[in-house]
Amino acid sequence: MTRAILLGLVLALALPGIALAHATVRSTFPEYRQRLDRAPANARVTFDQAVRVFPNSISVRTEGGRLVSGRSRAAADPHTVVVPLRPLARGAYTVRWRALSADGHTVAGIWTFGVGVAAPPPTEAHGASGPTRAEHVVRWGYFLALALLLGGLGFRLLIARELPPGAERRFYQLAGLGVVAALEVGILAFVLRAEDALQLPFGELLYGNLDPIARGTRFGTAFLAMTLGFVLVAGLLFLAWLLERRVLLWAAFLTSLAFASGLSLSGHSAVDAGASWKSQLADWVHLSAACLWLGGLLQLALVVWPLAPNERRQAFLRFSRLAGVLVALIVAAGVYLSILRLPEVSDLWEEPYGRVLLLKLGLVSLALSWGAAHHFVARPLVERGDGRVFRPLSRSLLGEAAIGMAVLLAAAVLVDSSPPPREPQPTKAVTVSP
Amino acid sequence: MTRPPAEHVHWLFATGVLLLGLFLLAEAIVGTEAWRRRPWRPYLWPSFAFLLGTLMWLVMVSFTSSTIHMLAHSAWAQALMLAGAAELGLVRGKLHSPLWRLATPFAFFVSGAAFLVHEQNPWFFQRSAFLHHLMGWTLVLGTSVVIARALRPGRAAANAGFAILFIALAVMLYSDRDTAPVFGHLDPLAGEPRR
Repeated sequence: MTRAILLGLVLALALPGIALAHATVRSTFPEYRQRLDRAPANARVTFDQAVRVFPNSISVRTEGGRLVSGRSRAAADPHTVVVPLRPLARGAYTVRWRALSADGHTVAGIWTFGVGVAAPPPTEAHGASGPTRAEHVVRWGYFLALALLLGGLGFRLLIARELPPGAERRFYQLAGLGVVAALEVGILAFVLRAEDALQLPFGELLYGNLDPIARGTRFGTAFLAMTLGFVLVAGLLFLAWLLERRVLLWAAFLTSLAFASGLSLSGHSAVDAGASWKSQLADWVHLSAACLWLGGLLQLALVVWPLAPNERRQAFLRFSRLAGVLVALIVAAGVYLSILRLPEVSDLWEEPYGRVLLLKLGLVSLALSWGAAHHFVARPLVERGDGRVFRPLSRSLLGEAAIGMAVLLAAAVLVDSSPPPREPQPTKAVTVSP
Repeated sequence: MTRPPAEHVHWLFATGVLLLGLFLLAEAIVGTEAWRRRPWRPYLWPSFAFLLGTLMWLVMVSFTSSTIHMLAHSAWAQALMLAGAAELGLVRGKLHSPLWRLATPFAFFVSGAAFLVHEQNPWFFQRSAFLHHLMGWTLVLGTSVVIARALRPGRAAANAGFAILFIALAVMLYSDRDTAPVFGHLDPLAGEPRR
């Protein structure tokens, strides 16, 4: 009976709804990213409470930035704000709205719709300037967090199966840092993307409506799913440490691998021309293998080398074998994706995307050469048990890891850049009534 | 885009916080020694705090209609998880430094600060503002009780105070009702009642 009551309480808590506070959007017309066959006569936002309307509470603009909306007013229903529209031609439109909430805060938001065409995501709406340098750095931080987490877990499970207590503690510290950073940096990345789409000063961004970005874009959906996924990973990792259950580490590792796919399912490989399940799979393999390689190197240099001297030889030899497989996967998937995104070889030096890719390829070549030196020079010495190699090898492993981090920085810039457009496919014309 | 009223979520979490408070109050009443006769009991409240923190992330990702509330919910989620994890580590013997005892006071302070920062209206603007200020200051000032409990774990008064803090917070969360006449709609600037 007691167990049943406790179970009931846990289930009740496991099904929370959604909290409300300031004026919240109940519905819009047109809907987020709706594709209309006929041009609408007006645009509307309905809130959960009455709001104070400004003359420019809703503004609607074309892709080129031309204003096509009139003066905003409250509708008969005081919860709704409405704006009349001029006759709209076929095309995509951006709607920005703001209103004074009952609690005194200005709430604001954005959405897009299309007349006769598909609407772009709000992150590509008129006024959004695209990823900034700050976003490149944040995405790099996200990649590093994934490398610490995924690579750390993979290394612990596949390479260093037994570790002394000190090294075990350091492993958990690094993997824990990875999962916490994945959550924090993920939130920061989402807010930065929303800031660009909403184009609001910081004070007003705090009350900006993120729903269209969270639910109307692949990026937003991936953010929500990955946040929950990495919370689960954090719980599993913590329980693995607390209870000393290896099986929980496997669960954390496989969950991390699965949720890392969120990046592949929301990036270029999922939305650009030529995207297919094969490109998404290749992107996921590329990312996962890179994280396993870099995270493994960091574990080798920061955990095994200083804290588990008796495990150095075996760990190095095992990782050397695994690294060969990982590098093969990284190169194969990377070549496939490069061909897919840059059909012409000349794109490599003529297109901005190609030039960043060229830089990344240069860094990858350097990392591969460094790895080859480890494989062909250091490995035979380690196999023979020559202790003199261990000391310089520690610094060399960190050097290779530093190059790997630089590769991830180039990858972060690459992900935030747009590949050159492909030849447009002929599409069926749509007749639009004004 | 249809969302249930905020108070439903607050009441669910109020139930969780109330249970936490009742577990702690039971320990304060019978004494730590009697409470720990069953080996699973010391794990009860920290596990529950950790679980509540995990569930708070569901609210965080569901509630994206304003940036500040998304951030505030993530702060509460992390504070609950941190407090629960640190206490579990101490109970299990995995954490040895006494500094880890300060994780729960830190979580209290961060949670209170999140309440106060995310509410930018004065106390009597409307009911939700009043409750946010009340909960924020209860958590911030209550941090001193939690520090006292961390520094003197055996003190019955500190343990009871710690438990009562949770129960008081649960009552405040239960008070979050838009239709309740208790706090009404306090400031005419706040506009008409929502429902």
